[in-house]
Amino acid sequence: MKLQTLRSIIEKKKNKSEFAIITNLSNGESEIFEKDKSLSKEMQIYSNQINEFFKLKKNGVIENSEIFVETYVLPIKVIVVGAVHIAQYLVDFSKSLNFEISIIDPRGYFASEQRFPNMKIINKWPDEAFKEIETNENTALIALTHDPKIDDPALQHALKKKFYYIGALGSKKTHESRCQRLKEAGFSGEQINSIHGPIGIKLGGRSAPEIALSIIAQLVSETYKK
Amino acid sequence: MKNSFDEKILEEANDWVNANQKVVLATVIQTWGSSPRQVGSRMIVNEKGDFSGSVSGGCVESAVVRECIGLIKDNKPCKKLEFKVSNESAWEVGLACGGEIAVYLEQVN
Repeated sequence: MKLQTLRSIIEKKKNKSEFAIITNLSNGESEIFEKDKSLSKEMQIYSNQINEFFKLKKNGVIENSEIFVETYVLPIKVIVVGAVHIAQYLVDFSKSLNFEISIIDPRGYFASEQRFPNMKIINKWPDEAFKEIETNENTALIALTHDPKIDDPALQHALKKKFYYIGALGSKKTHESRCQRLKEAGFSGEQINSIHGPIGIKLGGRSAPEIALSIIAQLVSETYKK
Repeated sequence: MKNSFDEKILEEANDWVNANQKVVLATVIQTWGSSPRQVGSRMIVNEKGDFSGSVSGGCVESAVVRECIGLIKDNKPCKKLEFKVSNESAWEVGLACGGEIAVYLEQVN
């Protein structure tokens, strides 16, 4: 691989664009493929197969050829509501994962630069905050405040936008009353049941990093089910 | 959606190049049967044999490092390696898991 190619891959990852690296295994020549960008002459005959790999977000060698396709997908957007202690560990764990965390918390004293260095925190109520973030069925929500005033609007937004993962912190009892409120707000049983509550897989841990680990484990597991 | 794991290995390769090291990328390009790392998994190796990342669960890394050093010495651009179950003759190493993998080596130049 040419150093120039390597550097433009890093740049494209930084700029959060989706692309694929196409390598001719017989001579080591590689190029970057992007949607709506034309390929070099030699690669054009593989155009259909490359597009297929790209669409399926798949890596592999094109059948009966010496062409290797490696696709790069965007990090998964994860919205955390509540700049609480657990959120600090979620940020730590996500550093080695392909998750891009945004934190929403209207309470200024929680969302401080000191507690979350180099982290973009949206210091607004969820309804306002979601106007700034583009969300869809590839987005995940982790609600951590267990305060209905803050969590509920975020949960409602996530349900309406069909987030692939929605988790909410709180005991079984807290979750029951949360489900009741959502029912009264007009959400269906199926929608409400899609919320992971109490959040996380059963690890048995109680400390903030342990709870964060159980949440991240559930999130990874749900991500692979998609 | 796949790939919830970002290894940042190419970023590290760039750092090594910036530190005037010669770097070979070793990438898993094909797998058959059960294999520890999926297609696209990668490790990097420099001329001294330092390495980062992985192409298996530690089964074939030593052979890959040796081959990468050879590639740099011979100044060849690329090479394809295949590893099978206990491949005694060529590598002394093999995949205990019973799978097979193909690893592609390429110099950053």
